[in-house]
Amino acid sequence: MSTQYRIPLHWSFNYNHGAQKPDFADELITLLKGYQTNIQDVEAGQIKHTYRILPNFWRGYSSRNRPGDSLSIGSAVIQRHKKSDKLWCYNVQYNNSTSGENALLQFQCNDECYRTLTGNWKATVTNSGQDLYSNIELKGEINNDEQIKLCFNRTEITIGMENHSLPLTCNWGLYDVIPAIAESLRTEGSAVEISLLDDLEQLRPKCQIGYLDSIKDPIPLDGYYLYGTGLLPSYWWVDESKNVVIVSTVFETLVLHEYSGSST
Amino acid sequence: MKTRPNIIFINTDQHSWDAISAYGNTYLQTPNIDILHKNGTSFKNTYCTDPVCAAARSSWATGLYTSETGVPFNGGTLHPDIQDIGQILKQGGYRTFHCGKWHVPGRNVRESFETLYYGHNNIGAGGAAYYDSASTHAVMDFLTYYDEKNPFYLQIGYVDRHDVCEYLHNHEEKQIPNPVEQGILSEDDLPPLPDNFNYDDKETVLHRVCRRVDDALIHARILKAVKMWDELHWRYLRWNYYRFIEKVDAEIGSVLSLLQQTDFVDNTLIIFSADHGEACGSHQLFQKFALYEESVRVPFIVSCLGEGIDVERDRFNNTHFVSGVDILPTVCAYANVEPPATCQGDSLRPLVEGKEVTWRDYAYIESNYWGRAIVTDQYKYITEYKPKSFEDYLPPGPHDAQLGRAQLFHRNTEPSETENLADVPEYKDIVNACKIKLFSHENRLNRQQIVQPGAQRLISNWGKRLQGYWEHGY
Repeated sequence: MSTQYRIPLHWSFNYNHGAQKPDFADELITLLKGYQTNIQDVEAGQIKHTYRILPNFWRGYSSRNRPGDSLSIGSAVIQRHKKSDKLWCYNVQYNNSTSGENALLQFQCNDECYRTLTGNWKATVTNSGQDLYSNIELKGEINNDEQIKLCFNRTEITIGMENHSLPLTCNWGLYDVIPAIAESLRTEGSAVEISLLDDLEQLRPKCQIGYLDSIKDPIPLDGYYLYGTGLLPSYWWVDESKNVVIVSTVFETLVLHEYSGSST
Repeated sequence: MKTRPNIIFINTDQHSWDAISAYGNTYLQTPNIDILHKNGTSFKNTYCTDPVCAAARSSWATGLYTSETGVPFNGGTLHPDIQDIGQILKQGGYRTFHCGKWHVPGRNVRESFETLYYGHNNIGAGGAAYYDSASTHAVMDFLTYYDEKNPFYLQIGYVDRHDVCEYLHNHEEKQIPNPVEQGILSEDDLPPLPDNFNYDDKETVLHRVCRRVDDALIHARILKAVKMWDELHWRYLRWNYYRFIEKVDAEIGSVLSLLQQTDFVDNTLIIFSADHGEACGSHQLFQKFALYEESVRVPFIVSCLGEGIDVERDRFNNTHFVSGVDILPTVCAYANVEPPATCQGDSLRPLVEGKEVTWRDYAYIESNYWGRAIVTDQYKYITEYKPKSFEDYLPPGPHDAQLGRAQLFHRNTEPSETENLADVPEYKDIVNACKIKLFSHENRLNRQQIVQPGAQRLISNWGKRLQGYWEHGY
């Protein structure tokens, strides 16, 4: 009997369409029930979470090189360590076999619950496809005039101003932000507002995070939502150990595959 | 303009004409498309040639209507003898680049253009979440490194907001609480239902069979799901729709910001449009395929962010009927390249420069192989051809006896298109005048037979279903 008939999935990450082969629910539940046993050793002080990227809709987005073995079309690896009492350093490796893009994002955050961006940041993106675009480099900073500056290859642009009334963080920092504020979101019932620098390059000036729901199956999880200007709602599910284990949008679902270390 | 300009054609997907904040829509923010409008002319009477991706895009590529291209619905293949815009401009001395969505079946984009980015797996209809930011990266990379003397033509096909289709598919298999029940939005956060949430109950048979009946030919499972929706679900669809557009607006913003920092800014013409619109709850419809305004009317802006090209700025053109067939001749006019003699469109360049020219007084639209519409200053006429008793796969028309049902709407007094005047005796002459316009237009078309077996099968099957309704009713 297929897993889909035994364990109900929450609507926010249930993409178990009958036509999908491999089966979405089977793969997601297998990942959910297995991630705690796949702990790998990393350097002391490092926290690392590895996510599989599952396309919610299979048609056209599969990795044609590996038919049948897995729904996954890529991975996101979030590594961070505390550099000093005040700073967290992030390295995010994002690989997507459908888009062909492989990105390394590096940024620093202040050591507080919103992981506000600080200093310079950098992204190196390569394209594994056969077209003319092969790679691009991005560097960014908030300058003394509080402008958010990006430099693509050798050309600089301004994408907006820092808004001091809202914390500015990177979407990849939310993997620590949401667990850190989860309890207050859940117990107080009110949403918080933040600014997001999506993939270190797109400014979403006003976003909201709030409590969504809690579930017991397939494993106990608390869910939170994120939406904002220029953002489709995404749903973030946190386990009892304060790991973000599912991040789902209408198009794709990131599911925790391995982790080590703890930010709590 | 000292030399032949660079031309960038930015296109989005499934983007209704009025979903732009510069046009007064307060439910979304599109600051970057607004910049294009402030630096250019918006043609507000612009219609796609066919409200589906492949067909509409085949017109962009060729300057022909969809019954002429070989792609008269979301299927078929572009006729091999028809030249596309990449080939034409290349012969005219341009470097021609493509980035992002293409979706013109039967034509290999990599043969007609130099491709900056077309996905690791070739981009199909959807997948903005994977492809759009990569397309932006590719364009930014290009703009920072292109240093040749040849002018370039670059078309950037963003997939968003096509992914609203996946938003809808997501409702096929499960019941999703409305956003107020979810606790993430209040009613006040949501756009209202559209004024034309109701619909004319005398729609064409084609439309009813494709979109209304329980076993509808198109997306019956979504239709079944949305019949369970409450008002807030529909309003949430609209809310999501606007977020999709904001997302792609941000991608466009990155490209424009970078372009402004390059030497190209003064001598680069930017054309912005969309392949078709999105019903988004109007007439209780979703997606495209219909001949109502929300699905067929699209944005069209011609702009220059610098000073090198003569463009009337911050201006709305509400009078001229623009069509998807006009992209190719407009680009050719700026590129000083002769468009093919068969091209059905006209160059917008004189209009962009504020000059008076003789212009068509209507728009002609096809849909789902059998559907037709004529839009004039005052009226919209929607009709259908009945399936032929023997299907020869040649798109129908012009043929009076083969016409089925009709709808007539007064565009000025009833723009919501819910009061069908086609059977009102006082409007008989108007209907006849629209028919004459339709047939006159179709007499000038060089219709192409559908040759692809899969497309033939689909037309056969759909034709049989339609025949059944004509013979036996609903």
